Amino acid sequence: MRKFSLVQPENLKELVAFLAKADGQRVILAGGTDLFSLLKDEILNPEIIVDLSRLKELFGLRQEKEALRIGALTTISELASSPIVQKNFFGLKQAAQSIGSPQLRNVGTVGGNLCQRPRCWYFRDPLFQCRKKGGSRCFALNGRNKYHAIFGGGICNIVHPSDLAPSLISLEAKIKIASKDGEKEMLLADFFTLPSVSLRQENKLQPNEVLTEVIVPKPSSHLKSTYVKFTERGSWDFALVSVAAAAEVQGDILKKPKFVLGGVAPIPWRLTVFEQMIEGKKIDEKMAAAAALEALKEARPLSENAYKVDLASVLLTRATMSLLSR
Amino acid sequence: MKPFRPEPDSLTYLKEAGRQEGKAQEIIPQETRFRYIGKKIRRVDGSLIVTGKAPYTQDFYFRDLLYGKILRSPHAAAEVVNIDFSAALSHPGVMAAIKLTEGRIRYIGEPVAAVAAVDEDTAEQALKLIKVEYKVLPFVVSEDKARQEGAPQVLDSPNVQKLFEYTRGNIKEGEAQADIIIERTYRTAIEVHHPAETHASIAYWKDGRLTVWDSTQAIFSVRDQLARALNLPASRIRVIKKYMGGGFGSKLGLNDFTLAAALLAREAGRPVKIVMTRRENAYCLGNRPSTLITIRGGAKKDGTLTFLHMKNFTGGGVGRGDRCSEPLMDIYKCPNVLVEEYSVFTNTCASRPTRAPGHVQGTFALESFMEELAAELKMDPLELRRKNYSEKNLGDTGIPYSSKGLLECYRLGAEAIGWSRRNQIPGERKGKIKRGLGMATQIWWGAGVPGTLADLKIYPDGSVEAICGTQDLGTGTRTYIATIIADTLGLEPQDILIKIGDTDYPWAPSSGGSQTTPSVGPAFRDAALKAAERLKAIAAKKLDCSPEKVQIELRRFVNMDNPEKAISFNEVARELRRVTVFHGERGDLPAGFAYNSFGAHFAEVEVDTETGKIKVIKVVAAHEVGRVINRLTAESMVIGGVTQGISASLFEQRLMDDNEGRCVTTNLLDYKIVAFSDIPEIIPIFVDSPDPRINNLGTKGLGEPPRIPVAAAIANAVYNALGIHPRQIPMTPDVILTLLKKEAKP
Repeated sequence: MRKFSLVQPENLKELVAFLAKADGQRVILAGGTDLFSLLKDEILNPEIIVDLSRLKELFGLRQEKEALRIGALTTISELASSPIVQKNFFGLKQAAQSIGSPQLRNVGTVGGNLCQRPRCWYFRDPLFQCRKKGGSRCFALNGRNKYHAIFGGGICNIVHPSDLAPSLISLEAKIKIASKDGEKEMLLADFFTLPSVSLRQENKLQPNEVLTEVIVPKPSSHLKSTYVKFTERGSWDFALVSVAAAAEVQGDILKKPKFVLGGVAPIPWRLTVFEQMIEGKKIDEKMAAAAALEALKEARPLSENAYKVDLASVLLTRATMSLLSR
Repeated sequence: MKPFRPEPDSLTYLKEAGRQEGKAQEIIPQETRFRYIGKKIRRVDGSLIVTGKAPYTQDFYFRDLLYGKILRSPHAAAEVVNIDFSAALSHPGVMAAIKLTEGRIRYIGEPVAAVAAVDEDTAEQALKLIKVEYKVLPFVVSEDKARQEGAPQVLDSPNVQKLFEYTRGNIKEGEAQADIIIERTYRTAIEVHHPAETHASIAYWKDGRLTVWDSTQAIFSVRDQLARALNLPASRIRVIKKYMGGGFGSKLGLNDFTLAAALLAREAGRPVKIVMTRRENAYCLGNRPSTLITIRGGAKKDGTLTFLHMKNFTGGGVGRGDRCSEPLMDIYKCPNVLVEEYSVFTNTCASRPTRAPGHVQGTFALESFMEELAAELKMDPLELRRKNYSEKNLGDTGIPYSSKGLLECYRLGAEAIGWSRRNQIPGERKGKIKRGLGMATQIWWGAGVPGTLADLKIYPDGSVEAICGTQDLGTGTRTYIATIIADTLGLEPQDILIKIGDTDYPWAPSSGGSQTTPSVGPAFRDAALKAAERLKAIAAKKLDCSPEKVQIELRRFVNMDNPEKAISFNEVARELRRVTVFHGERGDLPAGFAYNSFGAHFAEVEVDTETGKIKVIKVVAAHEVGRVINRLTAESMVIGGVTQGISASLFEQRLMDDNEGRCVTTNLLDYKIVAFSDIPEIIPIFVDSPDPRINNLGTKGLGEPPRIPVAAAIANAVYNALGIHPRQIPMTPDVILTLLKKEAKP
């Protein structure tokens, strides 16, 4: 790990002022559960680390009339144990509970989970100078790619590891981003960017900006959500494939279904084809499985990860049936 | 200097494990009642360990301590043309730099140079300032590719070399007698030790004497190998290891970085500490070699084995890999056996002994084969094993086992798992989630090493010290030493001060091969018996009786004929008048017998046929290791071994990028080790009966046995559930899904 200087702003105003003026490479530290391994392996070598721990205004959940507001520094444990989340957003609770281990959930934050860097053993190994780190090629393409992308890859085949992101996108969550120029909101679905758009970065956050809040709109009374995650190991593992699903359930019909896959693409991957095929129709398991198979024809697996397509198919079916049974 | 090659590899290790000679020491009869031996005794050092007070090698600090780092080759094959230290040495804070190799580099991570600096950061920076000129050469890291014609040559000889061969009887005759012949091929992946405590050494020179604090399983062999490498009398070197967080074989023998620490410390004139990182552990400190084992074998209709032919290609990087045929040669009655084993060399780091080297892979193949043979014969797989049970080693053609409790392991294990619940035909049950039961047999050595020494020191104030140069890997050595002495002298375990882990103490063998308990335990029992005899003689005078009439009770000696007359332990000790040392020795192993431990594991699994995920529901682990000394730590050992076995069965594999020659599983997220939620109910069972001649305690080692049959038992349970045998480990979901898909469209 290289030497860096630590900056600890006292409040949001101080933070955005600092981000606006400071030059030099810097990174933002929230829970640190991902950042520290990147620093130790010298994947990131910032000159400045901006520690958010003193920004009290970014902690905790707030229920408002039209939305649930989640401060970016809210820990995953807090999110998972929140009665509002447990009552209204079952899928989000499942997603939060599936993350890492109890120790990681106690320290990791909601904002950090959305901004964590992708999984790829080439990206995370200092010996491999891959395209994402300024090199000329993606080692996974012809190398070991068991855990890599089946959608949206090509030039770079990382997968986005967040469990919260697919779930929040399925719930049509927005995020709030602050800078010296003020605050702006955007749909979380629009936040993430593919390698073909920005190779070095997985989202639209600018160096002078910070993600401060997640806003989950109040659910309609029929809204049901679920999160199905498949890992090799029973805990402390990232998803091989996960499916976040939300829809208004009426009998055995789903209205406005949202299906977002995790662990399969450089960004949370919304499967609109699947949504269209099942929307408003009477669904049984066989029909859901057939639709999943059809929707996954778009997948472009690599040499060692075709099994992810099979897993995605099973998980889409299971998520659909789980919505209907809840 | 000459590039350093780690020792021992698994071959020398196995030779050590099988040694035997001489005649027996008197052993404690089975009916003897003990206060502590055989009971569940809490660790005497448990509170130190769990409160973080126990000192591990990395915890030691000395004045003027420097920190060393190793520069490792980024190329899998290369020639080192030149090493330039000038920039590194002129960097402030860098105190020494040395070359570790000249000439050929054969794997990524091979040590090239080392530096010592005032702190770790400076040492890291200095590594980047060393200019090494490499001539990059072609390499091969995949065993399959290394076997192909035209593959880059790894060593100065061909990539495939004969490792071992064995023959008895004539397999042609066996083929002629067989009603059924099957041939199956099994694969095991490369597994990495990854002990909780990474490797570390501190070297300290003073007045021409070198002291090394080392996280090692073998202080004496580290001392002797250092003496040879440094051309120094062994008497000038002292190696110390206090507490350790596991080794699993990766800490046997001298490490290259330990030697580097000694050289750097000599050069700098200051002590040097080198701690290995998790990344270094992942790809350059050894591993369990891969295997590709084909077994062809036949049996008569009633299950009688007529022949076994095994072929193994084992990949241990630049090392020779593991000899895996011992279980096949030994366990089952079979007159005709042919074994051919080959090393396949690749440009990856050398394998090292890994908890039951060879036996783990060999048992996976053999026991999977037995399961598949049983299915062909339409026989209960357990019955097939009973049918071919042997009383003598080498498949009933050799010398008798001194003791063998395997039948009892079968009986107790089958009962505990509910063996009759298994599918009578593999895969017969319908449904998306399928359950199955499987079992596997285990054999190992672990008789202990004759000549192990131990001292028992009794002070005139009644305090007692136990001194032996053995090392505790974290298995509870201190506790059983205390237990054995306490039971022999009428004391309590906490009364005894244990001093171990120092080459200035009496000699003990390396702690590997399940050797420590059956080596060190009997040596202390011997010392304690000698002390008891002397103390009884003193007590006899005071109690007005003959020594034979003196009975040892808790902290006192009693006249058997007149129980009113008693004298305390301390009063008797006072009569010794000076600190008195009693020397104990682990006696000989009587010739003419085979000394082995046995066991059988039974596993129940659940397989999700849609996702390929295997969930282990329960493992029953029945073991016969002679007399159980401490039931608590013995159970812990079994639970740990089974857990490690589950981990290797379902998750662990070191993956290499063939194009770059580098390892991609360099952290514990990508190299997956079992997590708590994957650990099922594990039921340890012991056939607790002393071996009649193995040593004075009748005990065998337990380090390796519980690790051996796990993967085969689980794979066989998967076979029982699905009707498809995975034939490889790890059995990850992608592997199972692919097999299920293949089966679905034949």
